[in-house]
Amino acid sequence: MTMTLNGTDGVTFNDASLQGAAASPYVLKNRIINGDMRIDQRNAGASLTPTTDGQYTLDRFQVYISQSSKFSVQQNAGSVTPPAGFNYYAGITSLSAYTVGSSDYFCFVQNIEGYNIGDFAWGTASAKTITISFWVRSSLTGTFGGSIRNGAANYSYPFTYSISLANTWEQKTVTIAGPTSGTWTTVNTSGFQLILGLGVGSTNSGTAGAWTGSSLLSATSATSVVGTNGATFYITGVQLEVGSTATPFERRIYDKEFISCQRYFQAQLTDIGNSAIYSGNVTSGASYYGSKTFQVAMRAAPTLTWGTQWGVNGFASTAPTADWLGLDGFRFYKASNTTTNGGYIFQAWSASAEL
Amino acid sequence: MYKLIKDNITNQIKVVCRLSDNAFIPFDLKNSDYQAYLKWVSEGNTPEPADQ
Repeated sequence: MTMTLNGTDGVTFNDASLQGAAASPYVLKNRIINGDMRIDQRNAGASLTPTTDGQYTLDRFQVYISQSSKFSVQQNAGSVTPPAGFNYYAGITSLSAYTVGSSDYFCFVQNIEGYNIGDFAWGTASAKTITISFWVRSSLTGTFGGSIRNGAANYSYPFTYSISLANTWEQKTVTIAGPTSGTWTTVNTSGFQLILGLGVGSTNSGTAGAWTGSSLLSATSATSVVGTNGATFYITGVQLEVGSTATPFERRIYDKEFISCQRYFQAQLTDIGNSAIYSGNVTSGASYYGSKTFQVAMRAAPTLTWGTQWGVNGFASTAPTADWLGLDGFRFYKASNTTTNGGYIFQAWSASAEL
Repeated sequence: MYKLIKDNITNQIKVVCRLSDNAFIPFDLKNSDYQAYLKWVSEGNTPEPADQ
């Protein structure tokens, strides 16, 4: 057996069957988080029909939509067998035969934080080439589109890929020479978005294969998933890496991947034992405070949304007021309405610092 | 619609509540919900004042 080692491809085995075990030339080469669709904190595998532009689905993946309720997203929708080596996929199902208007857009997106692409040197003469790879299975065939767009939404690169067989997992690869112009954030705001089109009108589409100083979400005339009632678009194994070759999908330990997701979203929604808690004797009319420390420091001070109220004693059954939110936790308060010993509040919560 | 939320200890206002879903949004320029709030204000809208 022979093998080669270089700075571009890392370890390359002469026997290709061994390549899956090859060492990566990079630590954390895949800049996509949850690319294998294992983590679904918000919906725990339940189907979601997005109604709001920018709504999040499986962890780190959101939708761009100009019309509500045109498709659903569900982890392992349709219960097909994932491609070898994967156990989960994001399943998108069209809910109608919607004719996409010129200004319409329907996309599946991951927003990548600037800190995680700082080595790309995009916007400079040293801009690095990247390769996007993913497994996709659709009931439709044809030319599909997507885009890379910067965080400021004023520089983008539409691309295409072909699906040749219906209802068959195919691995797709897109290689893009890095842009030497444009603004590419390298701090804790959006570096760029990987956008996969599910139906994008002409206003937001452009010629594939070239960088442009505008906001484009897909390639001109790409296939519309939302245009066919019941059409499916399943995807997993999404990887975005430096270089001109798609290397094997980077396997990450589950807890590390979960922590990466929690930088952007964390919640304690399903168990009273994890809820935000105040407990103590209370006097009617007085305010009482509780706090919660996040399990992982978040990207930015997050938006806090209350969930199920598991129970209150000595308080009205309305949600507390969150009056301080930071990277590492939040504080809340609530006025008692009944003097009692053993007062308490148990309240589920979620915190979002998505890009 | 939004409502300003006063820090009940310092009396400073560093959070705004989005009334449509009762979400509490910190005054952090890197929070996308706060960016949306600032855009809403720049369009001439005014949040409800904080409780005294």
